[in-house]
This record gives sequence, structure tokens and C-alpha cells, in this order.
Amino acid sequence: MKPLKIGITGVRGVVGETFTPELAVGFAQAFGTYLDGGRIVVCRDTRPSGPMVHAAVCSGLLAAGCEVIDLGICPTPSMQLAAKQFKAEGGIAITAGHNPSKWNALKFVRADGLYLNATQAEELLDIYHQGEFLKTTWDQIKTAIRPADAIEPHIEKLESSFDLTAIRNRKLTVAVDCCNGSCSLLIPRWLEVLGCRVLAVNDDIHAPFPHSPEPTPNTMAQLRAIVKAGGADIGFAHDADGERLGIVTELGEPLSEELTLPIAASMRLAERVGPVVTNISTGSRIDRVASKYGANVIRTPVGQAFISEAMIEHSAVLGGEGSGGIAIPEVHATHDSAAGIGLILQHLSHHTVTISELACDLPKVTMLKYNLEVEPNRLYSLLQNFRMFVESERLENDLSDGIKVIFDDGWIHVRASNTESIIRMIVEAEQPARAQELLDWVRDRVKS
Amino acid sequence: MRAIPTLKISISGVRGVVGDSLTPTLLTRFAQAFGTYVGPGTIAIGRDPRTSGEMVKQAVIAGLLSSGCRVIDVGMCPVPTIQLMVRSRSANGGLAITASHNPPEWNALKFIGSDGTFLGPGVAREMLDIYHQGEYAKVRGDQMRGVEVVDGAIDLHVQTILETLGPLPSTKRRLRVVLDACNGAGSIVGPRLLQALGAEVIAINDQPNGQFPRAAEPTPENLRDLCAAVKTHQADIGFAQDMDADRLAIVSDRGDPIGEDYTLVLAVGYVLSKESGPVVANLSTTSALDFVAQQYGSVLHRTRIGEANVTECMQRESAVIGGEGNGGVIYPRINFARDSLVGMALILHMLAERGVSLSEILAGLPRLVMLKEKLPCPSNKIPEVLKMVRETYSTSEIDLRDGVKVHLSNGWLHVRGSNTEPIIRLTAEAATDEEVRSIKDSIFEAVRRIINDNA
Repeated sequence: MKPLKIGITGVRGVVGETFTPELAVGFAQAFGTYLDGGRIVVCRDTRPSGPMVHAAVCSGLLAAGCEVIDLGICPTPSMQLAAKQFKAEGGIAITAGHNPSKWNALKFVRADGLYLNATQAEELLDIYHQGEFLKTTWDQIKTAIRPADAIEPHIEKLESSFDLTAIRNRKLTVAVDCCNGSCSLLIPRWLEVLGCRVLAVNDDIHAPFPHSPEPTPNTMAQLRAIVKAGGADIGFAHDADGERLGIVTELGEPLSEELTLPIAASMRLAERVGPVVTNISTGSRIDRVASKYGANVIRTPVGQAFISEAMIEHSAVLGGEGSGGIAIPEVHATHDSAAGIGLILQHLSHHTVTISELACDLPKVTMLKYNLEVEPNRLYSLLQNFRMFVESERLENDLSDGIKVIFDDGWIHVRASNTESIIRMIVEAEQPARAQELLDWVRDRVKS
Repeated sequence: MRAIPTLKISISGVRGVVGDSLTPTLLTRFAQAFGTYVGPGTIAIGRDPRTSGEMVKQAVIAGLLSSGCRVIDVGMCPVPTIQLMVRSRSANGGLAITASHNPPEWNALKFIGSDGTFLGPGVAREMLDIYHQGEYAKVRGDQMRGVEVVDGAIDLHVQTILETLGPLPSTKRRLRVVLDACNGAGSIVGPRLLQALGAEVIAINDQPNGQFPRAAEPTPENLRDLCAAVKTHQADIGFAQDMDADRLAIVSDRGDPIGEDYTLVLAVGYVLSKESGPVVANLSTTSALDFVAQQYGSVLHRTRIGEANVTECMQRESAVIGGEGNGGVIYPRINFARDSLVGMALILHMLAERGVSLSEILAGLPRLVMLKEKLPCPSNKIPEVLKMVRETYSTSEIDLRDGVKVHLSNGWLHVRGSNTEPIIRLTAEAATDEEVRSIKDSIFEAVRRIINDNA
């Protein structure tokens, strides 16, 4: 079977295999039907299939009677702000985020710029599957697609959310790897607005991805070299659409993406205490950082829509995920790397501390991740078997998303990816040996 | 029999009604079939100003890119401009988004080969087979090619005409032209070309906004505004285009529509006065053309109806000019396509060089009367109708290449089934009204009887 994921985070697949123009057209028609032919903002990242998917989406939306505002290439969070600014009924991001170049995906947002929640996503899927879409007639159809810029308004929103004077006075040197993704158009400009000396690499939207667009330590070699050569105060790594942020310290050390959220939390809670929202797959460092400041951590199922809604419900001061997503409510309640950068640079400007010192102060735990590639038709039965085993053994568990098993000295989390045909396994323990032991155990258990 | 469906998939392309049968899914599949057929090459696309044009174009772009093609987007322009672009950029094919003279709720895709002509029946059938088989070439996401937006296609078209024919020679008074572009694709190019040639232009219906100011076919009954404007402005000539600017109709300096067939007659007369060689026209085009060809000692080849048939024969016979009686002039030195802009340039050159009025030129041509009728006819009755016509005129000279064409002592009669609709077309021509009516009357009732006979 070939991978294609149609679910609550949108529709995702390999272009040239399962992700076809018909599929994109159909989903755009379904979304246009769901929003009753209203105004829709559309953006894309830089992968080569972007123009194809974009054309298919625009055609489907126009056929359903929508007015299309085309933001061109821009980060997904820029589009999410633009949805509100243009008083759109919704938006579509054409991006497969951290997936390799041959993938693409559609992600759907609402009038408030947040992702469709689980119920809304189900409704959209029902319309798609029923296949009966709004069809507008020749005298009602929109005759043109309106181009618009979402980058400048995004920067304006960011400017009003941070202490610009302090950051500008600090004159930081910042290295950045945009992975030739849509951040190339936003992050270097944002850093210049912040008065930084910018050392940018892979900031060409016409060039292919130089490495996997996942901001993890194994994709940070170039960024580390630039941080060291340029004597930068910090380096930032990006995915293709501006939702995940990775960090390289001033010493050139690549930090695990798991550290981005605890670092951001320690900075945020130092200035303002309030609830922090994350998903159940994110490591326990965040709990210890929060307890140091007497703040609550609210855990949600995996998926940005859950984090956004919980942030609003609990008036959270911060949201984020272990994959490097950071959401700052003053900007908006959704993952936005540019907002994360603003928070981190503001902290470095307000305090005489280096990023390596901050990373060093974080609780030491060992987290191991393992992705088990599974045929799509076996995926859920393997998970079901594992759940029955956990329940029959009466192990302490949390079933709000996949299966989380809690031990005295660590935990494991097993779940199906929302976006690929893989089972994600995450284990965490204080001691590296214990973490490895837990991972070996869960891997054997799930496979058998 | 059911009512005429709102979707027509045939060798002349795919046509349908927007908001009904012509969905983005259908369109993107057709584009994939075409991309699969052409192979991973470059395709030039353009559209007329219909309101659905952008929706259709986006679906087409998605399909072409998905099948591995690179797209040159020429934007809103006449069909012949796309055809010219295919040749000038050595593209592997082209795709025109236009339903030419159909009402505004329609749109269509027309497929163009690497030589800039529409796909002939053979290749079009192969393409349709790919569409129906539904297995299209798919390029992987990281290998996909992009879209190049070209602004200069219209300039190229105007420039090519000017370079080939030159500006108009000077006349006592600058030629004054009224142009009715039907708010079509010609709205942008027409006035620019006419000014570049050195004519004075008064344009009406020149807003390419997809709203039809009149029925799109440039037939005499649709040209009342133009006739009035020619008289008011005391113009030397009036030109009318259809939506996609391939067909051209003419109004004389007296404000009379001269009949679409005479566009080709005038253009052929001018070209043959400059260069000699064969002429090609379809079987239903006026006999006045035979007169003009004879005058200059040229051979006139007749073909089946359809632009692809005419251009194919022109290429085979190395014709100097050709076209169709519906106002489609094909002049291969500029473009292997029906091109209203080329037609306007040729005819203005003739007026300027000869220094006489259009009505004087027309006075030197045989004025024949043509009668066109169409009758709804179930497709299973068409063979019976054709058989009856053939038997009725068994003693006359008969041409069976496309329906039945009968040559009579005082004119001709042509009966054929349409390629695009379930109708019978009946065309007759003779020297006078009376004669053409008597030709029609001799067969019309018999045809109707067969159609209405339920047995």
C-alpha cells in the first residue's frame, strides 16, 4: 500500500503517487462547500509540487463559488493571521511541513486562523466523501484570484508583541537556516527588524531543500558551522512552513527539538506565570520547568488544533510541542517559529545569560524516539493489540491519544502518526540505560 | 431521446456548462490526459475572457504539471495568439480555454499540436482514449516543473503581423475602422494591431469582462450595433470578432454586413494578387471563392468541415491561403490558424493599396446568396436523411466526403450531420434569393418528414 493520510490534520501524501490533482481539487471543493462559498486565503511552501497543488486548490475553490486570496509562498502562521486580517471564512496551507520534498499536504484553518478542530475536520471529511459539492454558475463565479502579502502584516503583529527596543539595543548576531522553505521570506526580515546581525543560509525559495526539513540535531550541521564561524549568539533551524523551531547554542551545540519548548517555557514563566499547554507525547522537562514557577501544564492529544483550543480555554501563557512548535498567545494561539524567536531573543536581551547556560539548567532526562514503519492496513490492529496487553497487565495508562504507559521512573507513549503510516514510540527516563530498556521492551511488545 | 446534454467530449475537445457538467475534476483529468499524450514537454495555455476562465485555467495547470509538463501561461488572449506562441516557443503543444461562439455559461478545452494547429481527428482520438483509460503520467512531487507567466504574447502577435505585411501604405485619408470585439479576447489585441498598422480605430464592445454584449457568433443579425456605428462614424469598414477572435465578419462602408463567407473571399482575392499558389476551403464555403481562384489561375481544394481538416490540407498542398466560410482566414506566412487579426490586416492592406471603397471591391465580385438551416435530428436518423438526399439527386454531380454535397446547374446544396450537436445542417447557395429558396424547398420537406417519422 502507498501512504496517503486523510484525517483531522488534513490530507497528506506523496505527489506522483496518491496525492493527485483530483484529490486536491476534491478537498478544495469540499472545503469551499463547507464554508458556503466564502472568502478563503491560500498559501504554500516552496516544494516543487506547490504550483500544481495550488492550481488544483484554486480551481476547486473557484468552482465552489469562493473568493480566493492568494498569499503565494508564505509561512503557515502568516496565512493564519491573514485569515483574520482579510476577514476570510477560512484558509488552506499547501505544505507538508517537516516531510521530505516529494510529499505535500493540505491543512485547513478557520475564520479565526486556527486549525479545524476534530469535529469540524470530521464534518469536512463527510462532505468530501459524499462528493456533492457546491457548484457556482457562470454569472456568480469569481473571475480572478486576488494576490496579497501576508509577510508584512505578520511582522507588524510580531513587532507589537515583543520589547523591540531591548532586542535592538542588544545587537545580537543570529544565524538562521530556513531550509529554503517559506521562512526564507519571513525570518531574515524579522531578525533585521529586531536589529540583529543576520547570518542566513538556505534562504532561497527557488532552491530545493538542502536537507530534511525537520529541525532536529541531525539536520543542523550547516547551521552549527555558521554559528561557530560567525560567532553567533544563537542559531535557529526551521521546517518548510514556519511551525517548528530548532536551536543551536552559541557554542555550536545542536539542541534536541524537545528542548525548544522547555527553554521557551523557562523564559516565558520568568516574566509571566500561567498555564502551559502541550500534548501528551511531549517530554516531562516541561512539567519540572512549570512546577519551578508554580505553573500548570495542560496536556492534550497530539495535534495543533487541540493545543490551540486548550490555550484559549485555559488562558494559557504558552503552548507548544516536543517537535519544536511554540505558540505565544499575544501573537496567536498557534505554532509560529517567528514568535518563538521573538520570545527567545527578548529573553537574551533582558538577561545576561547565554542560550547554552539556559539549556544546561534544564532538567536532565533521556528521551528516545523510534518510528516503526508499518503497512497502513496493519497499523491500528498493532496498536489495538498493544492496548489490550497494557490493560490486561493493569499497567498505569493514559488513552487520550494512543497509549501512554506510566512507570515510576519513566514513561512510554505509542501512537499512530497523524501524517504518515508509522507508529511513533517515545520513551523517557532519567537514566539513559533505563530509557533504552523501556524502548526495547515497547518495540518488542508492539511488533509481536 | 433525452435533451441535449451539457457536456460534449469529442475530437474537437471537451465542452460543457460551468456549474453543471464542466467540473474542475473533469478539466484537470483532461489536462492530465493531454500532458500524458504530449509527454513531459512544454505546453502553452491561454483563455478567452469568460467568467469561468480562471477556474478552468487553474484546473488545467494542475493537470499539466502533474503529468510532468512545463506550462507557459499566455493569459487572456485570442486563440490564434496561443497557436502562434506554440510555434514561436517551440512548445510541444498548446491548450486553448474557450467555447468560442457558445453562450457565456459554456467553456471548453481545445487541444493544439506542436505545429500550432488543432489536433487532427486521428491524434485527438488517441488523446480521448488516454482520457477514458484514466491512467495518466504522474511525475513525483520533488521532480515537478513550474509555470512561466508570459506577458508578451500579444506583442509578439502584433509584431509578427506587422513584420510580415508591413504598415498600411499611405492613403489620402487614414482608413477609419470600427471594431466590435464582442468583449472577447480580441478586445485587447484588435485596437493595438489596427493602430500599429496606421488605421484610425473606433472600438465598441471592447471590455474583456466575460459579459456578452451580443450573441457571440458574428452573424449579420448580431451586428446591428456595428452597422450603426460604421454609418455614424462614416467608417471605411467595420470588423466583428467572436469571443476567441478566430472568426472575422465584415460590415461594408455602407453599413451592411457583407456575409461571413465574404471575409475569406476578400482575403483570398488580396493574397492571390500578391502571390500564387493553391487555396483551401471547406465544402460549405461560398462558390464566389472558385470565381476568385479562377481569376488568378489558382487551384481551390475543398475539404471536410473543421479547422483541423483545412489546415491539414493546406500543409499537404502548400497552400498560400485557406479558411472557412464562417469568417476564419488562415494565412500560413503568419499563423497556421484561423486568425481574425491576420484577416483584418490583409483586408485593410487591400483597401489601402487599391484606393477604392469596400463596396466598390464587392461590386467586382459575384454576389451569391447563401441559406443556412439547421434541424434537430436524432443521430440514428442522419444516415437515412443522407441516403434520401443522395437518391433524390442521383443524376447530379455529388460529393460524399462530408455528408452529401450536390452541385446543381444554378448553385449547390450541402446536407450533413453536425460534429458537435444532434442536428442536421442544410446549406444552399445560388445567384438569387428565389433560386436558393427553390433549391432548399426541393428537399427541406422530405428531410423533415424523415426526422418526424416515428416508425
